[in-house]
Amino acid sequence: MLRIKNLHTSYGAVKVLRNISLHVAEREIVCLIGANGAGKTTLLFTIMGLVHPNAGQIIFQEQEISNMPTPEIVCLGISLVPEGRQIFYPLTVEENLELGAYHRRKNDPKEKIQADMEHVYQLFPRLKERRGQIAGTLSGGEQQMLAIGRAFMARPKLLMLDEPSLGLAPRLVDKIMDTILALNQEGLTILLVEQNARRALEIAHRGYVLETGRIVLQGHTQELLTDEDVRRAYLGRDYQKFTD
Amino acid sequence: MSLEDRIEYLSPEGWRQWQLELLQSTLNRVYQRVPFYRKLMEENGIKPEDIGELEDLKKLPFTTREHLAQNYPYDLFAVPLRDIVRLHAFPGPKAPIVKGFTSRDLKALRGLTCRFLTHCGVTSEDIVQICLDPGMSIWIEEIKEGAETLGALVIPPDPQSAQDRLRIMHDFRTSVLISTPSYALHLLHYMQKEGLLPPKSLRLAVLVGEEIDGQNRLRLEQAMNLNTRLGYGITEVIGPGMGYECEEKQGYHLAADYFLAEIIDPKTLRPLPPGQIGELVVTTLSIKANPLIRFRTGDLTQLLDSPCPCGRTTPRIGPIVGRCDGRLSIRGIKISLDYLEELLREVYHHLPAYCLRIKRHHYLEELELWLAINEQLFEPSILGLHRIMEKFQHRFNETFGLPCRLKLVEKEHLDAFAQGQKVIVS
Ligand SMILES: Nc1ncnc2c1ncn2[C@@H]1O[C@H](COP(=O)(O)OP(=O)(O)OP(=O)(O)O)[C@@H](O)[C@H]1O
Ligand SMILES: [Mg+2]
Repeated sequence: MLRIKNLHTSYGAVKVLRNISLHVAEREIVCLIGANGAGKTTLLFTIMGLVHPNAGQIIFQEQEISNMPTPEIVCLGISLVPEGRQIFYPLTVEENLELGAYHRRKNDPKEKIQADMEHVYQLFPRLKERRGQIAGTLSGGEQQMLAIGRAFMARPKLLMLDEPSLGLAPRLVDKIMDTILALNQEGLTILLVEQNARRALEIAHRGYVLETGRIVLQGHTQELLTDEDVRRAYLGRDYQKFTD
Repeated sequence: MSLEDRIEYLSPEGWRQWQLELLQSTLNRVYQRVPFYRKLMEENGIKPEDIGELEDLKKLPFTTREHLAQNYPYDLFAVPLRDIVRLHAFPGPKAPIVKGFTSRDLKALRGLTCRFLTHCGVTSEDIVQICLDPGMSIWIEEIKEGAETLGALVIPPDPQSAQDRLRIMHDFRTSVLISTPSYALHLLHYMQKEGLLPPKSLRLAVLVGEEIDGQNRLRLEQAMNLNTRLGYGITEVIGPGMGYECEEKQGYHLAADYFLAEIIDPKTLRPLPPGQIGELVVTTLSIKANPLIRFRTGDLTQLLDSPCPCGRTTPRIGPIVGRCDGRLSIRGIKISLDYLEELLREVYHHLPAYCLRIKRHHYLEELELWLAINEQLFEPSILGLHRIMEKFQHRFNETFGLPCRLKLVEKEHLDAFAQGQKVIVS
């Protein structure tokens, strides 16, 4: 579904992504793990067209998207839940969800959008209870649910999540991971960025390890869970960089 | 369908992406962690970033068995030594070749062996009897573990006579025989000589380690009333299961998620197109401890171009038609003359004139080394002569896991027999 080949991205003179090749097949959950500053967010931003690559191809459903503007990419069916749950604080929960479906107004009938909203409420009953509440007053976990719900409202084919478990209590992390799994089982393809490698590897099918802008390892998640480097660097207590 | 089942049916585009990703991350790892490869790449002015297509592999230099020996003991590991959980050593003339495995490597290898055996038709219902020489210990080990993982009952090759092996085969209803082609033929010969019927339970022979010609294969299948499948692997590189026949029996499907295969002209070192015989060059894609980049295997074969009727999309190679590195394959065990000479020097402190004779005795290859007797070798007593011969025979067996009979002859006799050749096949 998504195929990236030889992608290079820099911020000015600073090279951040070097020759990244990666793919996500339909109905897969692929996770991307890597230390702080490895370039995970940059990769998601490059896919979304928020940052422009210096070289390389990003092919989504057989279409080159590396130079498309973000709104067009969203219309093609890629949606991002950014790091730090970016939602509109002054708006209500429901208004936030409606905004998520903004680009669908022209093509999709109201009932369909309404049905999707019901589906979000079904996934997160908590949001339904708080549908009229101002988003800024939600708890961290609820804000993350809202951010996922909002991305879902765009009816993406590929949902990308940037560290959805960051700063959440373990119980909420469970809930978020379960939801990602449920969305995947409904047919959604997922690219998941996580520092919580264990949780990500538990739900994903395959994974890639990004280090200083390069992919140094990949494989089925069972393989990565037994991989000595992954265990040392991302699953153990004492963090150690792959390159050390 | 699981990913493991799907992988062999990827589209050509899917394969290109899959292999490119693995190649790039392998290069990123070896560049960071293996000074030998980093130096090799720097000398050729290449960084991992320069590899954007599979074809770019051509920019990288080749590696050989000599490189492996030169970097003995630690210099080719791409992981910290503490991650290595198994180490195999292979005989080499200057230094042994060592190959380490991380536990992830072992798991991957097991997975590959299971795939190979599954495609051959081995199931959890089978009783698998392995009849391989001790020199093929890694094959034995991996096949044993792979078959056990599949849930089969495994009978490993504890030292036994052909007679006892056949008896066990009968009494325990062995359904799958795993051996070299020559040993299978040897068993057949033995049965025919003794007037024994082939065990009824035997339905499949998985033949590894060497090639078999079509005529002998047919004879084996008919006389033993079984199906045969061939498997290809090099234990220094990856292991068993690198190539396996599917039900169509049209060459070996390669495990393209484990390695990239190229065929080159061994003289010009240029890549050869499908259909032309050349040397198989392997780049590992999913090995962690000892990745190999453009490793020259010495095996001569060709890439097959046409899609296989079985529907698998993995690349295929034809039979191994010979070797281009001067090494001999005796019952699946590879022997280099360089190493043989090294052993002679070690044992006798000089290199006597010699000729290695390969004899076939009831389909089994037997080795006989003729040495020209000289003053340094001469011993007046029979016992002394015997001891001299014993010394080498012992060393040879210890090194290759294969017996070799030594014969001391007059120089003239040797010359007349060898006619200037170092190896005579008779
Ligand atoms: N706008 C920017 N300008 C310059 N450099 C940037 C910019 N954004 C990110 N970087 C740098 O790019 C590198 C990769 O950043 P990125 O945010 O992609 O990493 P990350 O893997 O998402 O890390 P984290 O786990 O901390 O979120 C870092 O060194 C970062 O400092
Ligand atoms: Mg980030």
